Amino acid sequence: MKLSTYNFLTSMAIKGVKVGFPLKLTINKKEVVESEFNPTFVERMLPKLDWSAVYGAAQVAELTDDIPAVQPENIGENELLMQKLHHLLFEIDVLEGQLECPETGRVFPITDGIPNMLLNEDEV
Amino acid sequence: MHVEETQQKVNKAKKADKKQRRCLAIIKNDCEVSPSDEPTTYLAILNVGLSNGLTEECLLMEAAATGGKVIQVVMLPGKSYCFLICASLEDSQHIYEGMHNISTIGQQGAVAYLSYVKQLPANAGKSEWNKPLPNGLHVIADFVSEEEESTLLRAIGGDGRTSEVTGTLKHRNVKHFGFEFLYGSNNVDPSKPLEQSIPSACDILWPRLDNFASTWDWSSPDQLTVNEYEPGHGIPPHVDTHSAFLDPILSLSLQSDVVMDFRRGDDQVQVRLPRRSLLIMSGEARYDWTHGIRPKHIDVVPSASGGLTTQARGKRTSLTFRRLRNGPCDCSYPALCDTQQTKVPQELTASLVAQAVTLEQQNVHEVYDKIADHFSETRHTPWPQVAEFLDSFEPQSVVLDIGCGNGKYLGCNPLLLAVGCDRAQGLLAVGRRKRQNVFRCDCLNVPVRSSSIDGCISIAVIHHLATKERRLSALQEMARVLRPGGRALVYVWAKDQRKNDKKSTYLRQNKAVNKERTTEQQQRQRQHQELEQQLPNNNPLPIHTNRTEFQQQDVLVPWKTKDEQKTTYLRYYHVFEEQELENLVSQLQEVQLIKSYYDQGNHCAIFEKISKNSL
Repeated sequence: MKLSTYNFLTSMAIKGVKVGFPLKLTINKKEVVESEFNPTFVERMLPKLDWSAVYGAAQVAELTDDIPAVQPENIGENELLMQKLHHLLFEIDVLEGQLECPETGRVFPITDGIPNMLLNEDEV
Repeated sequence: MHVEETQQKVNKAKKADKKQRRCLAIIKNDCEVSPSDEPTTYLAILNVGLSNGLTEECLLMEAAATGGKVIQVVMLPGKSYCFLICASLEDSQHIYEGMHNISTIGQQGAVAYLSYVKQLPANAGKSEWNKPLPNGLHVIADFVSEEEESTLLRAIGGDGRTSEVTGTLKHRNVKHFGFEFLYGSNNVDPSKPLEQSIPSACDILWPRLDNFASTWDWSSPDQLTVNEYEPGHGIPPHVDTHSAFLDPILSLSLQSDVVMDFRRGDDQVQVRLPRRSLLIMSGEARYDWTHGIRPKHIDVVPSASGGLTTQARGKRTSLTFRRLRNGPCDCSYPALCDTQQTKVPQELTASLVAQAVTLEQQNVHEVYDKIADHFSETRHTPWPQVAEFLDSFEPQSVVLDIGCGNGKYLGCNPLLLAVGCDRAQGLLAVGRRKRQNVFRCDCLNVPVRSSSIDGCISIAVIHHLATKERRLSALQEMARVLRPGGRALVYVWAKDQRKNDKKSTYLRQNKAVNKERTTEQQQRQRQHQELEQQLPNNNPLPIHTNRTEFQQQDVLVPWKTKDEQKTTYLRYYHVFEEQELENLVSQLQEVQLIKSYYDQGNHCAIFEKISKNSL
């Protein structure tokens, strides 16, 4: 699971959960898959992402020195930050770990790079 | 001149030798019959037989002209050779010398080649004609006299009255009386009787049926279809639609004999319908056997001596008399019964609601998990119109494929951030191996933030949901994750696999039907027999026969594995009627339909989430 995908995931489908976002991420095993840096791609992607989850992911991935807690203005002009975001969002691939619902503590395992978000019939 | 003539003779003899050797190789290969250098009482006629129109009569006349005496003619169906059993060696020699490379009994006057042979084929004499007729089938010879034949032909408009409803099908001319038989639906419309009812000249026929009619559902017909068959015309194997007509069906053959094929599964019986005979199809023969006429110029029929011979067809007119049923069929032959195949009983709808989750679990999720790898192999080419939809997004758009399977659409447009989800772990693993972004969930609870996605696709997914409510909530879930202005594309399998009379790829890939080796009905019948042994009887849903038209909306579709076990898994499908998808979309909140279309056997819809500003 790339951390860009993580940015969209929620546990709101669980009965009683209001927001279910951001999910609490644990990384047990990750891989870095290099990909071509395209500043436009990152810049255009940013408005679609939730910065708090971007920052949260950076914390778990131990990249807090690189990513500020608050999204800076005119971010597109900061090529270095864009490169770091590219690395965080599109190069780190979580192979093993888990996602946890912030409201109920329900755990969604990540196995072989695939988060299992499937809920049981009685949870929804 | 003299030299040339001699040369020609030598050439002719050489040609005959060559031809003879080639034909002998064929019969050796076909039926283990070897040539004999010494004369025997068995003669092979090497290049003329039933397959190229030789008649027993013609052969016997030629043989008689040589002075040789024949005991029996042995003709084999579908073969371009035949055999004679001669009375003595002397007779045999007379015939050989009188006919070999001399008799012009072949097609278009081609000369016949003969050879002595050591024995006759082992299967000679066994024939399709010794089989018993299907139950309920009767052929009454000389049902009308020649005079009555003329009267009937005049009465049905042979003299040129053409005011009746007529139409030209591919293989024959038809005319209807009483009610029009509609070939699109293979049914009649009981509310629309034709002005022209069955001609009164036909009334002479019914009293002759008193012996039979006591057990029938009717005493006189109200619908007549007249078919005119020129030599070479035929009619594909079919069963008369059960719900359209009562039992029995009567058919009067006029002007020429013909051979009709009756089939049930792998059983096949050939029935000769002589000129002026009446065919009665009742019970099993009417409901459970298909009947058809091969498009040929020549029929192979039993000969007077008990062998086979050929018979050229003439123009034939058949009068098929039927009685409308005006209601569902209640026969006890479900395999070809449209009523029983298409009926959605109240209990079924109720049980789908009650058992939707279990049904989807057993007949969708578990099956996809089991067939994942094989299924994935068959799903690699993106459908062009789906790829086109994906290309219509701005670069850097976020697109979610709900029910992404092996992820074949996730790499379609590399300028997008494409994420896929599916219920089937096995299929997700295939996508993941290609480094695609995938996660596992079901389409009713998509774990994605609301209003966060630019585009959504759902290709061949929601037809696996067992109730309308569930199909609707899957669509609502797509609408929820779309941002205002975001667009979604949905594909579902269509019940109707033809558009404008054109078959979908799904139907077109029915190779056996394409080559006219079989029909959909026969395939259904065969599968019925096959699966009956494999599956428990308490299956709540009808089982669809692949590459045939759907008989009803909620069906189980077989998937046969490629391994040696050839296990059959059944996937549940709800195939969509026309407008059904559009109707669902119209019930969604904050959504408008942009476009709907039919693409290769699928109903498709594109909808857009309405921007808050425009609400």
